[in-house]
Amino acid sequence: MRNSALVLILATGILVLCAISTAAQTAQATPPPPTAPHSTIFPKPVEKNLPNGLRVIVIPRTEMPLVTAQLLIRSGAEVDPANLAGVTEMAAELLTRGTTTKSATQIAEAIEALGGTLNGVAGWDAATVTTNVMSTQIRPAMEVMADVVRNPSFKDEEIDLARRQAMSGFRNLFATPGTVARLAAARVVFGDSPYGHSVAGTPESLPRIKRDDLVNIHSTYYRPDNAILVIGGDIKPADGFALAEKYFGNWKNPQSALPKLQITTPESTTNGRRVVVIDQPAAGQAAVLAVRTAISRDNPDYFRGIVANAVLSGYSGRLNWEIRVKRGLSYGASSSLDMRRSTGSFMASAQTKNQSGAEVASLALAEIGKLATGDLPDSELSTRKASLLGGFARGMETTNGIVNQFASLAMYGVPLDEINRYTANVQAVKAADVKAFAASRLNTASTSVVIVGNAKDFLPDLKKQFPDVEVIPVGELDLNSASLRKK
Amino acid sequence: MRRCLFTLMGGAVIAAGASIACAQTKMPQMAFRDRTLKNGLRVLSVVDKSSPTVTINVWYHVGSKDDPDHRSGFAHLFEHIMFKSTKNMKAEMMDRLTEDVGGNNNATTQDDATIYYETIPANYLETLLWAEAERLASLTVDDENFKSERAVVEEEYRQSVLAPPNGRLFVAIARDSWNLHPYKREGIGSIEDLEAATIDDVIKFHNTYYRPDNATVVVVGDFDQKQLDTWVDKYFAPIPKPNIGLPRVNVVEPARTGEKRFMEYAPNVPLKGVAFTFLVPSTKSDDAPALRMMATILSQGRSSRLYQSLVYQQQLATSANAQADLREDAGMFNFTSFVANGKKPEDVEAALNAEIKKLQDAPVSAAELEKAKNQILTGQLRQRETSLGKSNALGRAAVILGDPNLVNKDLDRLQAVTAADIQRVARKYLTANNRYVIYYLPESERPKSTSINPSINSTKGGASR
Repeated sequence: MRNSALVLILATGILVLCAISTAAQTAQATPPPPTAPHSTIFPKPVEKNLPNGLRVIVIPRTEMPLVTAQLLIRSGAEVDPANLAGVTEMAAELLTRGTTTKSATQIAEAIEALGGTLNGVAGWDAATVTTNVMSTQIRPAMEVMADVVRNPSFKDEEIDLARRQAMSGFRNLFATPGTVARLAAARVVFGDSPYGHSVAGTPESLPRIKRDDLVNIHSTYYRPDNAILVIGGDIKPADGFALAEKYFGNWKNPQSALPKLQITTPESTTNGRRVVVIDQPAAGQAAVLAVRTAISRDNPDYFRGIVANAVLSGYSGRLNWEIRVKRGLSYGASSSLDMRRSTGSFMASAQTKNQSGAEVASLALAEIGKLATGDLPDSELSTRKASLLGGFARGMETTNGIVNQFASLAMYGVPLDEINRYTANVQAVKAADVKAFAASRLNTASTSVVIVGNAKDFLPDLKKQFPDVEVIPVGELDLNSASLRKK
Repeated sequence: MRRCLFTLMGGAVIAAGASIACAQTKMPQMAFRDRTLKNGLRVLSVVDKSSPTVTINVWYHVGSKDDPDHRSGFAHLFEHIMFKSTKNMKAEMMDRLTEDVGGNNNATTQDDATIYYETIPANYLETLLWAEAERLASLTVDDENFKSERAVVEEEYRQSVLAPPNGRLFVAIARDSWNLHPYKREGIGSIEDLEAATIDDVIKFHNTYYRPDNATVVVVGDFDQKQLDTWVDKYFAPIPKPNIGLPRVNVVEPARTGEKRFMEYAPNVPLKGVAFTFLVPSTKSDDAPALRMMATILSQGRSSRLYQSLVYQQQLATSANAQADLREDAGMFNFTSFVANGKKPEDVEAALNAEIKKLQDAPVSAAELEKAKNQILTGQLRQRETSLGKSNALGRAAVILGDPNLVNKDLDRLQAVTAADIQRVARKYLTANNRYVIYYLPESERPKSTSINPSINSTKGGASR
């Protein structure tokens, strides 16, 4: 292959000869080997609990004069009532849009005058309010943050504006094949259970949300015994604890007990496997997903799972290698394990020209399947582990990265010093563990497929492989029910 | 002299005029070594032992503006090919030397430069210097690799331009705004031009632009300076400087002589768009800091002027942004706004014009200016948290601004901007004669029987990255 290419290049003219001959005189033919490794030191968190139950974690790192503080509520969109999808997200968003003493504009003025940012968002298992500022400004920033967490006003005009903005956002979202595919996939995997709905809600659910619903989310879940404060960056632990005490020390828990949430979610089964096409004739590309349930964050298979996923995902992971590097079918193919409090999901994804939708779906399934049945040489396993470990370390280069990492451990109740065992835990995973995980958790016979794109370009090919494919025109898509179809 | 706003315990915000002195935050200065080899290669290095990694950032002073004729998107396609084979490296060996040992790599093609980088465990520095020297000196490419990578770039085009609802708008803004300069072709190119590219083009482009006297190597991280110098001498010094000339784009974008209006229609436009573009000078101009400060005051954060007026109070738009898109040869000051459902683009246009008039009629307040300066300082601190961010800032100062010392002086220039400077640049550049207006509308609203502007649904014209 390379020889014949060289002939082609040489045939193109004299300039080429120059380039190749000069190189031949000078270049060393093999890469110089690495020198002795330098050791990695992860940041060390310090923590304490305030008397009201608020857990406070401070992670000092002094290279840059920046601090990130995140107040995390251990209840996210999974607590949305079934007919009020999006209420937790809307409540988090509205925190920064007015308190009992400050208007939305005054809050924005106060934080931005410091050069900082302040955002409230909901995820699946938590809602977070995060500020990032110069370390000299952390005190006034924390004051604003505490005010929005503790005293939001949920004014009607702010609710109406946030809702209108979200409704406009849906118009963009429904015109983007990758986003439609992810929203539909949640219903395919989790059905009508709480994780099946959209975190941001739907065009049907948002108009149903009333001020009382938002107040109710706040009064039920925003309480110190359901919260964790994580502060990272250029700050001493004693100063972090003093700020926590000052702004959250007199935050009281309500009399009522924190509701216990029981979430039962369906396991993916062969019988329940779905192949769903959302027909979006205007789509400039097809978004292809292979999805299924997987494991929760506290599952003993956690490290086996992340190593298995690293074999499939990443630039040189098997999915990207087969779909992008070898065949040029996509700008990128990847997979992820989303491990939540009581369950989780696995998703492989790629975008491709509409004509290749069916081919990319079968390539992705084939690679997932081969993980259980094919070879996994140690040479491949060790490089994928190195890639996983390197990415983990790079994720903690910034104050935001450090805070997110430790907040994630804390919210799932994982001991913070797991970070020091991360490398050893990853290295302990053997090829047989990866294969066993793939066989038990990533069985392709029970993995569903979702494709959003211009169906006429890929449906005939897809039907050959999956005669039971469901085709839903995008205008008939209903994200409010597991059927995905408007009645 | 900077001041900071200070929030009192009671919650009242005191305006800048009555501000209390607070601790000054200083941008840590970057102490760099600057050397140029006999073959013209410039090497900038910063020892930073905060993490046991090193970032190598190689800047080639060639970008999308240098795309050959009828080869829009070529500089970017070429960037992808640089990850294929060299004389001594098989295709994708860069990934073996980075990803496989816990590092990562990527590259970006900008209008004025192409930047390749890898962040690697510190003990792989020598290995990667060898690899970067390899692809500078002896890139090779075979037909199969070329075609499959070209297909990848075509998928990148679809993913960034055709799939997202607003992808085509950014193609249109570039094409409509620049009259003469090759900046009018967006860097991602077009499917048609990508399909026309050949291996001959690749070889010619490499020989023309990928040469030591057109490259700047930036190294930031945990290494020994003397050791680095030795390795640089060993792997880069032998690469000869070619005798052929180095072509440069010398097109001067003519001054605008009156407003122009463009109606762009595209499929998949869920929210209409309104854009204004104003021709402004290069990023090297003395007016650049005031233009950047003006953009920050207009649209950074929810307390900014555009958000407050268009999104929050009048609720005409879902977003409203101002951007000083300053490049090496010239720049654009852009406004981009998406029209809220049920509102009219004409009303958004009028609201944007009102904000421009406000900037021209009265100086910005001391508090607004102070806020913008704090936002810019904080933003630069965030950028420089990582070795990649530091190397990008240093490389940009050296290659695009022409002086690596500006990595440390840039912030001082921004801090020196006054309210009068902002009023002056608003009056000088944001004029009706210098304004192009672009409406981005759904195909269904295209008037029947007229075809003044070609639809941007066609594969012609540029694309955004």
